[in-house]
Amino acid sequence: MAPTPLGAREPRLAALLRDLGSQVRQGAPPEAPASRCPTGLPEIDRLLGGGFPRGGVSEIAGPPSSGRTSLVLELLARATERGEVAAVMDAADSFDPPSAAAAGVDLARLLWVRPPDLTAALRGTSHLLAARGFAAVVLDLAGLEPRTVPGARLWPRLRQETAATATALVILGDRRVAQGFADLALDLAPASAHFEGAFFTALESEALLVRDRRGGELRRAPLRWPARKADAA
Amino acid sequence: MSARRIACLLVPDLPWVALVRACPELAGKPLAIAGGSGPRADVVAISPEAARRGVRLPCTVAQARAACAALVVRTASPAFEDAARRALLDAALSASPRAELAAPLAGLRAAEIAVFVDASGIGACFGSEAGFASALAARAHRLGLPAIAAVAGSRGVARIAARRHLAGWLERPPGEPAPTEVVPPGGDAAFLAPLPLELLDPPDALAERLGRFGLRRVGELLRLPRRALVARLGTDAARLLALALGEGQEPPPPAPPEARLEETAALELGVDRLEPLLFVLQGLLSRLAARLACRGLACPELELQLRLAGGGRDARRIGIAAPSLDVRVLLRLVALSLEARPPAAEVEAVAIACEGRPLRGDQLDFFRPAGPAPALLSRTLAELEALCGPGRVGAPVVVDTHRPDAFALVPFAPPRAGAVRETAPRYAQPRTVRALRPPVAAQVELRGGRPAALRSAAVSGRILQLAGPWRTSGNWWSETERFAFEHYDVATSDGSAARLRFDPLRGCWEIDAIYD
Repeated sequence: MAPTPLGAREPRLAALLRDLGSQVRQGAPPEAPASRCPTGLPEIDRLLGGGFPRGGVSEIAGPPSSGRTSLVLELLARATERGEVAAVMDAADSFDPPSAAAAGVDLARLLWVRPPDLTAALRGTSHLLAARGFAAVVLDLAGLEPRTVPGARLWPRLRQETAATATALVILGDRRVAQGFADLALDLAPASAHFEGAFFTALESEALLVRDRRGGELRRAPLRWPARKADAA
Repeated sequence: MSARRIACLLVPDLPWVALVRACPELAGKPLAIAGGSGPRADVVAISPEAARRGVRLPCTVAQARAACAALVVRTASPAFEDAARRALLDAALSASPRAELAAPLAGLRAAEIAVFVDASGIGACFGSEAGFASALAARAHRLGLPAIAAVAGSRGVARIAARRHLAGWLERPPGEPAPTEVVPPGGDAAFLAPLPLELLDPPDALAERLGRFGLRRVGELLRLPRRALVARLGTDAARLLALALGEGQEPPPPAPPEARLEETAALELGVDRLEPLLFVLQGLLSRLAARLACRGLACPELELQLRLAGGGRDARRIGIAAPSLDVRVLLRLVALSLEARPPAAEVEAVAIACEGRPLRGDQLDFFRPAGPAPALLSRTLAELEALCGPGRVGAPVVVDTHRPDAFALVPFAPPRAGAVRETAPRYAQPRTVRALRPPVAAQVELRGGRPAALRSAAVSGRILQLAGPWRTSGNWWSETERFAFEHYDVATSDGSAARLRFDPLRGCWEIDAIYD
């Protein structure tokens, strides 16, 4: 069939758009772009703009029992569910495999590194970033003595190394350490524990987005563990 | 069906080549290899530089030193020579699946080693048979073995074709590519006809008789009636004729599936410190890694054997998180092992071996992001293990035990991208915990037999809410591994939720995890 001349098509297109009316919508980019690592928690993903940024440094800081580890395990669970591999650089030697498995992490796709000291943890993180291909690398510094946590000189280098990859580097700690070199920083408030009868049932906390390189104002989102997942919400 | 083709990879001066391969600092020096010790010992091989300075074989060490004052004399090392033989076979196996070492020769050819390689139809993979021969020589050169490569219709002719280039071998300028020779298919007889009979290596008596008959060239021998020649000159003449007629066309056998590679070094002076030992090991590992790389293999585990002064032996296996070829990483792992358990006496000889394993391949997926490249991942894992120590890098697994603090690591080998978990395991763990390793001792105040307040380095304060006790025990049959705990979930006034436990076997309170 011969193509319809352009001049003849325009009136037809105009008529079609008029007939369809409100059924026609403008195209938009997907909600969770591939440049993010989502957690699967609707409130948190909305807060973060789709998830933790790939190629960027994110920080999660909070006191013990604030739900920091649970949040990181959700991130690892979603990454491994997609068939990607992730890594935990466990400087605090506190990773608990049964907790990770219960959170849905595919342990076969998770690399657990137990460095003997902080220097090895930081060098090991550089090795993990250089390997490329990890969806997320979690540097767990929670529970370490504040004076042992490295100073400001280290973070620009780690940020530069992360920027060359598609890996989301997430630093977990009692307090924020990367400061201005983080693309995103999340503070978790102290949690309240819930007991029902003779059982400990849940932790409730709140996440505060205190830094987002894309700009915007401070935002907060409630957290509850065990969490409500996106598909269950 | 295409004609049978066989390649020969020939190294004329094994003792010299093997020594320079093991001690690269000797390259370019006037070097003589003696068959024994003392000035009267026979020199079995010399380097090109020594030949240029006037040393000629056969001679003794004293005669060689008289010809060249700067001559460096070393004793022949069977270990180095054996490793060089294996390396030459590795170079051949990197190009063809069928290769074998030729039987060692005696007399003037004792310093010569050769590998026969099945070259039938393989030229197409390298553009031509000349390309195949060049590739063989280049791969041998990469392993520190200057070799001549030749392709012909039979083993004997291929070997003779390689030997043709021995004239001027020692005088060739350093860095010049090794010569190659290709005898066209069906052209063996024409190739051999003008060559001198000495290339067929006739026994001395036979060579003399042939000379008396006026026979100098292979072609002249082939023109004579075969039966009459054998009747007059015996079986040696029959072997010579068979060689000249191109017999021995059967292909070399396929390479054995196992790929055990070993490099050894004997130390002239015993070594009792780690640093010089690591220097020796670095050379061994470099050569081992080059051989593995040549065959497309990687090292999954190292076997280190040390011969100690006084006749002792130190054998150890050094595991690697993932097969690797990175010499720096392998050396670091060996150093960690030696630092953790130093040898009991001076080290007199070192051998390092491994079973080569192919590097893991990966199938990419159109719709899923690719993980780390297998080679890069292997290197990263090995580097991490060198950094953190053995048993500290891997994939976590949930251990089938009631012991709450049990954990294990297995080698990290993620399923390929896109592979779906068959069944997602379900575990009873209700909430996420951060393990405290080792558990933190706690002082607990009891009221009515139940914890009311606690003090520890991790969590302190009044206990606001409490659940438990949950009792677990196991391994009661083992005095060392039995355990029994009474666990409590506690929320304290400092805002923490923790897992507190009482150990009735030891009578102490501990915090073994923080809910987080």
